[in-house]
Amino acid sequence: MRKPGPVLKTPDTGIWTRTSPLAILFFFGRIIRLVTKNAWQSLAPLLAFLVAYQGELVSKLILGGSAMAIALVTGSVLSWLFFRYQIRDDSILIRSGVIKKKQLDIKFDRIQGVNTQQNPVYRALGLVTVSFDTAGSAGNEGNLPAVTQTFASALREKIASRTKKQMDDEPLAMEQEALLRLDWRDMIRIGLADRRALIIFAFIGPLMEQAGDQVEQAIETALKSANLDTIQVDVGTGALIVAALIFAALLLLVTVSVAAAFLRYHNFKLFLDGRTLRSHGGLITRHEHSMDIEKIQTIRLQQGIVQIWLGRFRMTLRQAISGRKQRSQKMFTIPVVTAELADTLRPLLLASEAGRLTQNPRTDLFQAISPYYMRSRILFAGLVPAVIVTALLVAEAGIVGLIALIWLPLVALISWRSWKRAGYLHDDNEIVRRSGLLGYRTVGLLFRKVQRVTISQSRYQRRKNLASLRVYMASGSVRVPYIAHETAKQLRDYILYKVESSQRAWH
Amino acid sequence: MFQNPEIPPSELPGADDIQWQALDPAYKRLRRLQNSIGILAAAVPLVTVTVAAKLPVLPVVALSACWVVFSVLLLIWPGISLPKRGYVLRDKDILFRKGVIWRSVTAIPFNRIQHVETSSTPFDRKFDLATLQLFTAGGSGGDLKIDGLSTATAEQLRVFILEKAGASIENS
Repeated sequence: MRKPGPVLKTPDTGIWTRTSPLAILFFFGRIIRLVTKNAWQSLAPLLAFLVAYQGELVSKLILGGSAMAIALVTGSVLSWLFFRYQIRDDSILIRSGVIKKKQLDIKFDRIQGVNTQQNPVYRALGLVTVSFDTAGSAGNEGNLPAVTQTFASALREKIASRTKKQMDDEPLAMEQEALLRLDWRDMIRIGLADRRALIIFAFIGPLMEQAGDQVEQAIETALKSANLDTIQVDVGTGALIVAALIFAALLLLVTVSVAAAFLRYHNFKLFLDGRTLRSHGGLITRHEHSMDIEKIQTIRLQQGIVQIWLGRFRMTLRQAISGRKQRSQKMFTIPVVTAELADTLRPLLLASEAGRLTQNPRTDLFQAISPYYMRSRILFAGLVPAVIVTALLVAEAGIVGLIALIWLPLVALISWRSWKRAGYLHDDNEIVRRSGLLGYRTVGLLFRKVQRVTISQSRYQRRKNLASLRVYMASGSVRVPYIAHETAKQLRDYILYKVESSQRAWH
Repeated sequence: MFQNPEIPPSELPGADDIQWQALDPAYKRLRRLQNSIGILAAAVPLVTVTVAAKLPVLPVVALSACWVVFSVLLLIWPGISLPKRGYVLRDKDILFRKGVIWRSVTAIPFNRIQHVETSSTPFDRKFDLATLQLFTAGGSGGDLKIDGLSTATAEQLRVFILEKAGASIENS
């Protein structure tokens, strides 16, 4: 028998506030998103109605459309009516839901970041939508749509003063020099380096070729119909047309990515308010992000092929992964930085104790890992499979089977490149690991924030007296492969010592 | 009071000159029993198919040979791999090692442990064994899982580690 438990309910004290009626816009957008996400389920009744209703198509569409519009507007108005919030001393309460009531209690202590967004209508009226990143939950949980900008910054300050009670009371300088400003040239750099464009192109490329053929035929017929039979579209011209088409497509993709960069990062500025890193930018919708620098676990500097050419990096700061089931990670991205700027930002981000190391992959300060890294890969991933496959193929298909031997130089090349790019660098407080194949990637972390350390050895490594060190952070792990076993043990023991003697919180 | 005496490098406490604690000997028996059940379970479809489909002699011989080889391996393996596993409790951290071909040693400082879990399956309980799992932040699943401890040891370890973890939180 179940006993009736005590009814869990927050006492109805305090004043519940509604947000501005313009929040209806926000709810409207959310409902539209929900509808498009579950397109079939939500549109099925409408479709059924359209099919069942006798009449001509236009009137059907008008009727269905207006019914849907009414439903949407009613839905958003109701959502707004039922959305109320209350700010308390240590938390924010949000009640929402028309049919399914929901009460959200977000403790200020658990808020890791306060982000704001602004669409053009809100901007004209000085309103923002505030969203909270909370520890131990997936993604942005709470939203406060359409509140005034002053309210948002007051709230942010209130939360900041709550969460950093143990921090030194540095004054919150609101108007200050930006650490970084991105201009239009940076937008072009972001657009060029956008990997998504390349991926899209990889898919569209083959299609373009077919389209090129068709265009060629179309031109031919056009020329014929124009009675210009004397002009032959020869192979060279055809190739030229295809090349021009591919070039045009590439140009289009780059334009789209540059436009996307403008949309997302226009007028991007980076600030450090006491212990909080803030960024804002965006053309139509202004995005504002913040991260408590105490919570940074790893600093990552990445450079793809295009970025090598541009001499720029992408910097990401990672926070602890929260939630064991729905794994979500808060990241703070600085889309373009130079290596010099990254190195001047590091000491600011890693507190006063560290940040002296460079994360520029081009410096020769990095210590190489053992060349046996390359050898073992060539041996086990290259030679052994190549010999087996070649033997099988030669037995089956004769001399043509030797083609499988191409595998070996390919693996050798890749292994050599990744060995060349691998390396590490450390001092008393931090370690930086470098890796990469085509581009570069460096990851930096503080020893005292480490969660656990593993040293592993394969049989091959044991024979050569080598080991791989893996350092686990709350944000993921960083591996330093193929270093001397003795060095790995020393590093491990030193990291453990740093962690165990650290009196400060890791997050 | 925070003390930070200087330690000459030669006296740094290495992780190697330590006495690894072995797992409970009953765990080897449990693993052999579990593997035997698996082997027998695999034999059932093998025999059924052979009888039902009236397979020719050659495949049957090959399959049986495979089965025999795997069975022997599975019965020998716990005897090889389990002695390689071990743990060590130190003042400020716990080490766990494992692996025959790929060996690894994991170290978790007590002041990074978020919670500790002990669990036991019905099989474990028959042999009076338990599993200890240690969780740190950001990890997936059990960050350190030590199977095959006697129930009493697992409980002692849990209490000890929790105490250490709690003490480190109070100090900070």
